[in-house]
Amino acid sequence: MIDEKKLAKIVGATNVSHNPATLEEYAGDMSFVKPIKPDYVVKPRNAKDIDKLVNLAKETLTPLVPVSSGAPHFRGDTIPGIGGAVIVDLSDMKRIIRVDRMNRVAMVEPGVTFEELIPAVEKEGLRLNMPLLPRKSKSVIGSMLEREPVVMPKYHWDISDPLACVEVIFGTGEMFRTGAAAGPGTIEEQWAVGASQKEAAGPAQVSWHRLIQGAQGTMGIVTWASLRCELLPSIEEPFLVGSSQLDKLLELVHWLTRLQLVNECFILNNINLAAIMAKKFPDDYQDIKDSLPPWTLFFNIAGYEYLPEKRISYQIKDTTDIAQRTGLEPVGAVSRVSALELLKAVQRPSKEPYWKLRYQGGCHDIFFITINDKLPGLISAMYDMADEAGYPASDMGIYLQPIVQGVNCHCEFNLFYDPENPSQSERVRKLATSTINNLMAKGAFFSRPYGESTDIIINRDAASVAALKKVKSILDPNHVMNPGKLCF
Amino acid sequence: MALEDYRKDMELCAKCSICKFIPLEKMKGVQPANVCPSISKYNFNAYSGGGRVNIGMAMLDNRLEYTDKLLHIIYNCQMCGACDVSCKYAMDMEVLEPIYEFRIKAVEEGHTNPALDKVINSLRKQGTMVPGAKAKRGEWAKGLGLKDFTRQKTKVVYHVGCLTSYDKDMWKTARATVNLLNKAGVDFGIGGENESCCGGRAYQMGYETDFIRQAQNNMALFKQCGVETIVTACADCYHAFKVLYDKFGLKGNLEVLHITEYLDRLIKEGRLKPRKKVAMKVTYHDPCHLGRLGEPYIHWEGKEIPGFQRRFDPPKELMRGTYGIYEPPRDVLRSIPGLKLVEMDRIKEYAWCCGAGGGVNESNPEFSLWTADERIAEAESTGAEALVTACPWCEKNFNQAIKECGSSLKVYDVVELLEKAI
Amino acid sequence: MALDKDIYRAFEDVVGPDNISDDPAILDSYSYRWGPQTETFGQRFAAITLPKDTAEVQAIVRLCNKYGIQFKASSTGWGSMSNPGGPEVIKMDLRRMDRIIEINEKNMYAVVEPYVISVQLQAELMKRGLNCNIIGAGGNCSAHPYAAHYGGGHMGESTSLRERNILAVEWVTPEGEIVKLGSLGSLGEWFCGDGPGPSLRGITVGHAAPCGGIGVFTKAATKIYHWAGPPIFPIEGVSPQYAPSEIPPNFFYRYYSFPSAKEMVEAQRRIGESEIAFEVMGFNIAMLASNMGTSNDEDYAYFEQFRKLIQGPGFQVILMGNSPQDFEYKKQVLEQIIRETKGESLKPVEDPKIAGALIWRSIRITASIRECFRAGGAFSAALGGTHPYGEEVAYMEAVSKLKKDLIKKGILRDDDGYYLTWPHEHGHLGHAEILIQFRQTPESIDAIMGFSEAAMKMAIDNRYGVPHSLSGMAPDMHDMFGPHASNYNVWQRRLKQAFDPNEVSDSSGYIKGKQQQGVS
Repeated sequence: MIDEKKLAKIVGATNVSHNPATLEEYAGDMSFVKPIKPDYVVKPRNAKDIDKLVNLAKETLTPLVPVSSGAPHFRGDTIPGIGGAVIVDLSDMKRIIRVDRMNRVAMVEPGVTFEELIPAVEKEGLRLNMPLLPRKSKSVIGSMLEREPVVMPKYHWDISDPLACVEVIFGTGEMFRTGAAAGPGTIEEQWAVGASQKEAAGPAQVSWHRLIQGAQGTMGIVTWASLRCELLPSIEEPFLVGSSQLDKLLELVHWLTRLQLVNECFILNNINLAAIMAKKFPDDYQDIKDSLPPWTLFFNIAGYEYLPEKRISYQIKDTTDIAQRTGLEPVGAVSRVSALELLKAVQRPSKEPYWKLRYQGGCHDIFFITINDKLPGLISAMYDMADEAGYPASDMGIYLQPIVQGVNCHCEFNLFYDPENPSQSERVRKLATSTINNLMAKGAFFSRPYGESTDIIINRDAASVAALKKVKSILDPNHVMNPGKLCF
Repeated sequence: MALEDYRKDMELCAKCSICKFIPLEKMKGVQPANVCPSISKYNFNAYSGGGRVNIGMAMLDNRLEYTDKLLHIIYNCQMCGACDVSCKYAMDMEVLEPIYEFRIKAVEEGHTNPALDKVINSLRKQGTMVPGAKAKRGEWAKGLGLKDFTRQKTKVVYHVGCLTSYDKDMWKTARATVNLLNKAGVDFGIGGENESCCGGRAYQMGYETDFIRQAQNNMALFKQCGVETIVTACADCYHAFKVLYDKFGLKGNLEVLHITEYLDRLIKEGRLKPRKKVAMKVTYHDPCHLGRLGEPYIHWEGKEIPGFQRRFDPPKELMRGTYGIYEPPRDVLRSIPGLKLVEMDRIKEYAWCCGAGGGVNESNPEFSLWTADERIAEAESTGAEALVTACPWCEKNFNQAIKECGSSLKVYDVVELLEKAI
Repeated sequence: MALDKDIYRAFEDVVGPDNISDDPAILDSYSYRWGPQTETFGQRFAAITLPKDTAEVQAIVRLCNKYGIQFKASSTGWGSMSNPGGPEVIKMDLRRMDRIIEINEKNMYAVVEPYVISVQLQAELMKRGLNCNIIGAGGNCSAHPYAAHYGGGHMGESTSLRERNILAVEWVTPEGEIVKLGSLGSLGEWFCGDGPGPSLRGITVGHAAPCGGIGVFTKAATKIYHWAGPPIFPIEGVSPQYAPSEIPPNFFYRYYSFPSAKEMVEAQRRIGESEIAFEVMGFNIAMLASNMGTSNDEDYAYFEQFRKLIQGPGFQVILMGNSPQDFEYKKQVLEQIIRETKGESLKPVEDPKIAGALIWRSIRITASIRECFRAGGAFSAALGGTHPYGEEVAYMEAVSKLKKDLIKKGILRDDDGYYLTWPHEHGHLGHAEILIQFRQTPESIDAIMGFSEAAMKMAIDNRYGVPHSLSGMAPDMHDMFGPHASNYNVWQRRLKQAFDPNEVSDSSGYIKGKQQQGVS
């Protein structure tokens, strides 16, 4: 076990804890990943602390598990993979370092949540491309490092967006800044000549940010990141399109994203939409769910600085024309759900309690990337497998998020369940792993494997695993960074 | 001129590869994209227009010996000029000229191709590029009662060319030409056994001296007989009389017309009236030496203006294929009632070569036919039942390729189809 | 250096006798150089091979490892990154790998082999109402997203840049393993290149491509974009006199000049933020003149005409409307922005015939050769900056002073010293270049080298970033910049060593596994 004094020397005694209750909090999460208690939880105050912690870990071969978001955690990635670990809880690093209106970029520390960053960028006339209703405690950097899908596919040019640059302490104990932030010069010197740490790629012929994203903290610890921001619209006009025919909605989504007409754009099934919009459970939820069509597409049209009314007006006409061609009608409200209300909701983090937990107290997500053509087959297969496992289809939420400007679609099955009910939990646990192979066979690409199903997913491609291990051997040769995750 | 004279042009090659493709503005799909048969077949860069000028530079710098591979590169080019046109979309440099000069240099230094030597021997002995005796050159006209311009003065001479004269399959074209000229009331003569090769194909093969000798002899004969206008149905002959003779200062005031230009003129003047319906869907193949290489030679003398842009005083206009003979053959075809003309993807200045030029037909028949096959496939893709051309070399090569590949496509000369309509 | 006969035969066994050669004539067509070189011919390859598929590429790479021979793969082979870094390098000319594997219209991606050129892909896409990014070097270059040292192009505003368009990739590593990135490895599908877990795209490409230094990218999927124009642009005429019969509906072209760089950049920023432009290209008038002129004489005449008509720096804009109302809106916004930023339209290019030709040329990107090479066959450039509204212009203004000095000394063509800037992704990112044209003489080459070095030093001293031009040009430059930029050279070298332990993937356009002595 690592010497507590050494940790305390780095972060200060008050920021080191081995209180059993605290350790217990970090030992497990809401996923089905086996709990393992860490030895310590430390809360670094700044990049220097992190640097020293990583170097200490390297010297003592102590596993470090970086955590930036607050509880509850859902995916098992912040649970130590092995014993003797130190949790590096970054949630106290809350500096919003810079918001640059001109270059449309912000720079934050890992502890900054969406709720904290949104007003700061809004003050400058900017906004974030958000994931769908993240929990209140969700770190902005955490979300980006997980390649979490975002609700405005139009501004999601590359799957790594909106992440721009990061400063990272690799497992070797060395600091590195990715992309345009690398240098020459300090960050402040770069600002002085008009640079803004915006270009993610590079420097030169490597895109380091891509190796840090999706790594679940196995390569290093990010001390700050910059992110793309978008302009705050001056007017918005949101719409809902309800239908029982998913294929028609997907056709409409294709054209809306292809023509880059809309900002927020996603599809929810009635279960998820009800779970998001219901104010009282279970009655309100049930009423909304029952009143909704099986699928609802949400999209939002926006005007900015120049001729916003004119822009909104012609874009409504264009979207209506496209919708009519597919036999659909965009409206302001579907049943009891108002498009405006939904828009307001998705432009902020989830209200408490977290929307995925409101219905039954627990939720396990099965999510992957695919393309529109494959969605109907995948959804149908999932329903069949849920049925076989005895999981009620009426409880399964589905969220379809076009990403990368409509090239891909993030598909998420939300298995709501009561975590206090062991048989329900077990059923969901089994379903979560048993479906993977079948879904993969039908075109599901699990680009972000977590928890128990990781091996099934990642071992399908031995060549990529070998390449990833080489990368790992460079960035974290001593395997101190979150060991036991992914293929490491 | 010599290869060395094009050093400054060759130095301009930027290795951009544009010479390998049809002009980019005109590309309509993934295929057909290629314009150069040689690089398309052999793939190594040295076989492209750019690669050829690059190794031309290497030759000048004494970096190369005449290896079998180098000779293979030198002689496996149809001299079709497509690379030259594509390059000159963007650049002010000669491409085809140094390629010619490279081949001429090889010949002058004794590195010839045996198959081509054979052809040139025939030229030297019999005045023809195809096997045949001088005495038999006029056999195709037997019984037609045509004037011999060497005996009876005629302003217009129909120059038949080697292939048409000796290949019986081609006689139909010659006779159709005669028929049409007669119907239009043109007073013309032929050379018969006194006709001699234009020399153009010898030049393409690199035998510049033989070409010049042929040109001098021909021009002497034309002058002696008071010939004012030469009409030919062979694109190679046309190019030789019109462009090469001019380039070497031998053409004088001789008017050179391709038969399609002449027929187009006669139709527009009302001297020929196509009235019979020829219900056929056809596509037209632009022979290289009539199309992109068929524009008038531009003489220039002057000096380069010092500076950062390669400019000349007086301004030097390059031959870019812009003013080749593209519309007259099409206009003739359009004048034929019932005939539907559909275009291939690669036409006019960026037409794909038939494969027969540059001595390749003689030195590497397999490559020659491979090139023709590609064009036949392109013609078939238009849905046309016939491929129409305006050069006997194209016609012969296409026919041979069709015979080997089993295509149902028919091949005609423009003249043959017009004759059907008159 | 000639290959040992047995080794040659081993390679020959892979590709067949017709697809390998070490004849000097074949080799010299690859060793010819343009640009600021002291010699017309550079290092010869040991042999040229023409693999036809991934299996042959893999077999060649494995033989290279076995025999300790380096390889350099390239597609259309333009630029110094295609050259060998030493005498024992064999070339993989990927000419025979020329298939479009897939165009997925509904999911907006295309999969290509290295020798599909951009105009082939674009022409095929336009038939389907789609378009692709084409690099600024031109449509004659490969459509493969790894096949250029820098992936920005004229249509960056609406089609991003290559590095960010890449989806799944098939990669033959320097050790001869086939790694299939993303969904290709997991499912055999091309739609995503990232994951499971960290994205291996990260080690294959940065803001510059690896230029042959880390294996061979045999197939790649790339994002494609909507095209509202006709399936075939109505171009008429015979080369080089091409012009459209009409400007297709909902297309608009203008060239604007501004009183100063400040207003020009402000106009670019506003255009980007309003998301109206299909293309914003910061041509200076010399480049515009080259685009239009079909010869150096015409080019010269246009330039002399335009320099009297402009206020200062400028750019061209192409609008493309997805509907008549979309088009009208975009036009109105553009007019307002130009008014506000004091832009002035260059009248001669408003002529529909000229404007139409420029639209097509700037979408197909056919005239880069005219811009860069026609004048005297050689050009060079300093490329830098990614932040279009500050650092980029500051860097270009600084380098422009160096350029003007050389113009005064008579070393460079006088184009008034302008540079060019253009935005990507509606102004989120950007790129800047300063183009110089010269005649190759020992003096000019020295001066150009000095200019490049000074521009690089300026980038370091004044904190302008790691220039885009760095990669693919001179591997030692990484060791010059790296210590000032997070020691990225050290990290990139570690990747190189891990993935290419035998250093067989020629690093002359990448970073060498071993640091050169004397370079810090």
